[in-house]
Amino acid sequence: MKRPHKLTALALGAFALSLLTSPVMPAFAAEGTSADTGKTVTLRVCNWEEYIDTGDWGEDETIDLPSGDIRGDNSMVEDFEQWYYETYGVRVKVEYSTFGTNEDLYNMLTLGDTYDLVCPSEYMFMKLMDEGQLVPLSDHFFDTSDENNYYIRSVSPYLENIFQTQERNGEPWAKYAAGYMWGVTGIVYNPNVVTKEEASTWNIFDNPKFYRQVTIKDNVRDSYFAAVGAIKSSLLTSQDFLADPNYHENLEEEMNDTSPEMVGEVQDWLQGVKDNVYSFETDSGKADMITGKVVANYQWSGDAVYTMDQADEDDYTLNFAVPEESTNIYFDGWVMLKRGIGGDAAKQQAAEAFINFLSRPDNAIRNMYYIGYTSFISGGDDDRIFEYLKWNYAADEDETDTVDYNLDYFFEGEGKDDGKYVFSAPADAVDRQLSAQYPSTDVIQRSSIMRCFTPEESKLTNQMWVNVRCYNLSKITPAGWVLIALFVTAVVFAAVQKGRRRHHQSEAGKRQMERRKKD
Amino acid sequence: MKFTRKSLCIPYALWLCLFVVAPLFVLFYYAFTDGTGAFTLSNLTGFFTDPNALGTLVYSFAIAIVTTAVCLLLAYPTAYILATGKLKERQGVILIFVMPMWINFSLRITALKELLDVIEGNLAMYPFLNAVIGMTYDFLPFMILPIYTTIMRLDPAYIEAANDLGANNRDAFFKVTLPLSMPGIMSGVSMVFLPAMTNYVVLDMLYNSTYIMGSLIGSYFSAYNWNGGSMIALILLGIICLFTLLGGSDEEETKARGGALL
Repeated sequence: MKRPHKLTALALGAFALSLLTSPVMPAFAAEGTSADTGKTVTLRVCNWEEYIDTGDWGEDETIDLPSGDIRGDNSMVEDFEQWYYETYGVRVKVEYSTFGTNEDLYNMLTLGDTYDLVCPSEYMFMKLMDEGQLVPLSDHFFDTSDENNYYIRSVSPYLENIFQTQERNGEPWAKYAAGYMWGVTGIVYNPNVVTKEEASTWNIFDNPKFYRQVTIKDNVRDSYFAAVGAIKSSLLTSQDFLADPNYHENLEEEMNDTSPEMVGEVQDWLQGVKDNVYSFETDSGKADMITGKVVANYQWSGDAVYTMDQADEDDYTLNFAVPEESTNIYFDGWVMLKRGIGGDAAKQQAAEAFINFLSRPDNAIRNMYYIGYTSFISGGDDDRIFEYLKWNYAADEDETDTVDYNLDYFFEGEGKDDGKYVFSAPADAVDRQLSAQYPSTDVIQRSSIMRCFTPEESKLTNQMWVNVRCYNLSKITPAGWVLIALFVTAVVFAAVQKGRRRHHQSEAGKRQMERRKKD
Repeated sequence: MKFTRKSLCIPYALWLCLFVVAPLFVLFYYAFTDGTGAFTLSNLTGFFTDPNALGTLVYSFAIAIVTTAVCLLLAYPTAYILATGKLKERQGVILIFVMPMWINFSLRITALKELLDVIEGNLAMYPFLNAVIGMTYDFLPFMILPIYTTIMRLDPAYIEAANDLGANNRDAFFKVTLPLSMPGIMSGVSMVFLPAMTNYVVLDMLYNSTYIMGSLIGSYFSAYNWNGGSMIALILLGIICLFTLLGGSDEEETKARGGALL
């Protein structure tokens, strides 16, 4: 889930164009999949922008783990092509392209672009599941005895459990999707101005203390989640609610409330927020946070890590907090498309191998280091992910102010707490990059998956969003109405004048003609 | 087939059909159908009964009118001085006004943003003002150049004649120069007014979170409602046509366009 930006006016043109070209596209695609390309398999991958290691690391960027160095000299895609040939003896050519938002990707697919493997967020691959556009992962992909099956051998048990138990139309996500990166939503804030308590609630956006100094996300889903959290704040943080044995189910139910009444309340809340926040931002939030234009910013954990890293370079400290009410846990996963794969076994094998290659712990580390997001991979028998974590975040031996940070849930599965994956971190790291990249057990407790809106819910929430963003007629003051009336009168007057002048001219012309005739 | 001068038009005619006429048909098709492809007028009636859509229209109009007025107030004296003043390096001065257009648009607005941030303290406090400043900054050359070209072409003999007949300089300006430069003004207004209604990138970049017509269309498209979006685009097209009919159609106007200079 990376920065979305608005569909530009270009979309219309692109759309018109694609109408003209769409009948041609599948024909090309069909050629690509057949065996006539020789022994080379072509794999068309579409991923988020800046969401994979592109290599060319400097000398000082080597990650020197106790078990050996990790570096990105070539791009991940080149390394995959090389590895695939060495492992399977088949040449593969990856055609790599990128998209900016889930909605952009969906539009690209609708307009006739063909890909074999794409990486949307969970709500978008659920939509693709609904529409029957996906190819299920093969049984072989889940075979732990094949040592090249890095995904199933090293995926985090916590995340794999989510993918196995979350269902869509009676089918688990894991049937179609293999996770890539994940994270939670929260608030990046400037600790000199905003306290941790103030930043730990979704109500920060309508807090008058930060009038015109906080930014919120410019998309329906993220803003909707924040609004629900803020509106239900007292319920979600009440002792009774927290103590309920079904806390987690109840939480997901509350956070996914899309009843028309709730949508109405969200609209009111967001309208108030609109008059209090600095802006609804698409990608300016990170820069505005670093330059100090705003003091708090709604952010996805991966981008939060990036923002704090950038601020650190300028000797400027920013922190990260996850609201007490709830946080949206999100997942980006690889799925194969029917229209691309089209029953081609060689292609499907290459696609699954691509996922596996990215899941090899050293490659997962390279990608994490490069993009700042958190990989699905915990390593399995391989200790390198935990080593990397310590390499990145563990306190120095001489540091005194430290805390024990427990990540058993991630490495061993939710509910596990045997202290095997605990390490000592500087006390302030808990409010900074560490907590964003690997959320603490507490944060995971109050995380909630946001379901895919049904078409009816989408319609309702999209309309709500437009209502929030538009200037409503009811806001116009009497003076404004007078101005409008004046303007309309002026236009009508000009039109009448113009018509009359033309009429005169043509009348005059006629008279002249007649006179000439007489002469 | 014999090669005539008409043959030279073929590439452009093809271009026109492919990229102007064909998309227009697509636009019409989507505007007057619902999601299933059946004919409907509901997109049209929907727009005119939706207080948010109409409010957006009013808000866009307000921005466009103020922007155009500010542009005109800045541009007319500038163009007048440029055209009639005794400037040694006239072309050089014109260059100064045209040059910003050679710099990338988003870079210019970003620079403006930083500048306004210093002046205003907090940009988010003045969303409407910022939108107007940003658009004025962006569109000013489009107003200056047509007016400049028109005034340049005015025969000084008209003014001399007016003076000879007893008009003082003030009367000569208001009764001769200004009316004769109307085509330039109309041309400038049409080049500024219409983009100012839709150029939402300026608003986005300057932190104005209220939709104008351009962003409203965008929001319909990102919600996969191509029919509603197309209808709004079509309505906008209708409004533009209306204003062009009202303003233009004078023969002089075509001469006045400063296109060659751009």
